[in-house]
Amino acid sequence: MDLLTNWLAFTPVFAVPLVAAALGLIINERAGLLNLGAEGIMLCGALVGVIAYIEFGDNVALGFIFGTIAGLLLGFLFGFLVVVMRTNQVVTGISFVILGAGLTGLLGIPWVNIAITGINPIHIPFLTDIPVIGRFLFGQDLVVYATLILVVLSWRFLFRTRMGLKLRAVGENPQAADADGINVEAYRLFAATVGGAFIGLAGAYLSLGMAKIFVLDMSQGRGWIAIALVIFARWRPWRAVFGGILFGGIEALIPRLKATGMPIPQYYLEMTPYLATLAVLIYAAIRMQGGQDAPKALGTPYVRQDRT
Amino acid sequence: MNGLRAISLEFIRRRRLAIEVRQHIGLARHLAVILAALCFGLGISIAILVGRGVDIDSIYEEFVVFTFFNAAGISAVVVESIPLVLVGLGAAMAFRVNFWNIGIEGQMFMGAIGASIIALFNIGPDFLRLPLMLLFSVLFGMLWALGPAILKVRLNVNEIISTLLLNYIAYYFVLNQLFGPWKDPRDKFPHGEQYELSERLPEIGWEQVHYGIVVAAIAVVLVWWAVDRSRFGITSRFVGVNPRMALAVGLPVSVITAGSALASGGLAGSAGFVIAAATEYRLTFTMAAGYGFSGIVIAFLAGNRPIPTLIVAFLMGSLYVAGESMKIFYSLPDALVGLIQAIIVLSVIASEFFVRYRLRLAHFGSA
Repeated sequence: MDLLTNWLAFTPVFAVPLVAAALGLIINERAGLLNLGAEGIMLCGALVGVIAYIEFGDNVALGFIFGTIAGLLLGFLFGFLVVVMRTNQVVTGISFVILGAGLTGLLGIPWVNIAITGINPIHIPFLTDIPVIGRFLFGQDLVVYATLILVVLSWRFLFRTRMGLKLRAVGENPQAADADGINVEAYRLFAATVGGAFIGLAGAYLSLGMAKIFVLDMSQGRGWIAIALVIFARWRPWRAVFGGILFGGIEALIPRLKATGMPIPQYYLEMTPYLATLAVLIYAAIRMQGGQDAPKALGTPYVRQDRT
Repeated sequence: MNGLRAISLEFIRRRRLAIEVRQHIGLARHLAVILAALCFGLGISIAILVGRGVDIDSIYEEFVVFTFFNAAGISAVVVESIPLVLVGLGAAMAFRVNFWNIGIEGQMFMGAIGASIIALFNIGPDFLRLPLMLLFSVLFGMLWALGPAILKVRLNVNEIISTLLLNYIAYYFVLNQLFGPWKDPRDKFPHGEQYELSERLPEIGWEQVHYGIVVAAIAVVLVWWAVDRSRFGITSRFVGVNPRMALAVGLPVSVITAGSALASGGLAGSAGFVIAAATEYRLTFTMAAGYGFSGIVIAFLAGNRPIPTLIVAFLMGSLYVAGESMKIFYSLPDALVGLIQAIIVLSVIASEFFVRYRLRLAHFGSA
């Protein structure tokens, strides 16, 4: 029973980085940009978040704000490179992963492995004390609830506003969008920047909310899992929440299973998130049969001058 | 003041930057732009290093003088380049057909596991030991690329993510083996048992250069033949440039894509063999670190062609050697080499813009 309560209570904590990053990637991909650099951007968000937190005297809010800004700047840089300089999206994205690992590795040394208090879960009398689901539903930290609000906001933005419609048009058919007077490059740059901010927030949560410490390479492939999650979610914000809870649940279970001392080899346990991601990817592929849900222009550059 | 602003606004309003496609790209111009980009990238890298307290003079000493102006430096670069050539060729084979193999590190681990199985269980007579290890490493590397290849051509599963996830799976498998059944029985450290002499690639007799150089040379010739001289090379180029058209004219697109992916995995596996049998003399869990990205960078900068791959791999090898000595000198982290690589790649791919397009100040309206 305790195992179940704890497991449920920690699932959202592991889900938030995945969901926030997936939201950022959905915004990117809906505009036709494939940002494979999420892993690196998350790392930078995690480090900058911890730096701001420590240097401003254990200030959680500033930690999250600066982590988000770091992601926003890197997202803008990614957008600038692929939209304005027209670089290859795959190579640029992969370079961003290494760039993030390198920058945090080289510049982060003074802040590595410092345990912090970070953000604390809220406690509402009675509600949080409900057995089993109390802490799961009413005992999370504020960023968990903020992430849910972000899901609503990004869903409303993408599917209920004129700007969101235009952004999706840019991702589906940039030629038609351009002919309709939509500034394709501006929308893509916007999507890359806002999406980057979401990914930065996800990173800041890794260090300030989940681990409460910054460790080198702490993203551990979560940026990539988030990319797979977007495919599983078929580019819809709400489904990303379910995917996030599924993967967060798996990740939250690992330390708890280890603690019970069950005779499962440790490294096979650590492998499970990646195996599960692969399984989900295959499942999504079988269901989609050809991926008709993906934005049509995903990953393809749009260059008006090259048109013949 | 107001008048001045009005004039300048008027100036901006009547002129804007127009981007034009260059009709003709001269080789000299292309090279000049790439060189400028390299300098730009190196400049940023040096600025970051200086910011971390590295002395400018010592960058010159460590990087240029030590690496290029003595035999020990050059031979160290050659040794570093051997696995880099193999991963570069591996990445190039896959990228030619738009199969983005990000799983080179996992395939290297599998290659090293394949070689280690032969070594650990003493399979085959001594004189066949090394060839068997190489064969197994190639097969194991291919095996690790087989899944993503099938998933890609059958179900259209994104190979970028599937190959990357298999990196983590291979890595944790190696950890499991090294902390468990394959732990070194002698010193109880989490690395594999040391290979016997017959399982190590011998040195060729010049400094520390080993017979891995022969493996790399054979790989270059094979890849060159495959992409430049064989039927496979021509059809795969077609598949890479225009897969839809290739399918329409009846080319076996799936077979060629999967075949290229397997070749890529096999080459990555052989890189794992070279590192295990010539550098580490055992299976370790750090042996593949960074090689995946290096392979991608090399293939990209070399335009997926085998001969330029050799040159770029050599340059990358010198970056490895210089980075290694700087890391020890200034106790800089392992991420250093990757960071410099990433900065240089981003500079170079961004510079392509100035090769392909021309910026012009266009005038319009009445002046």
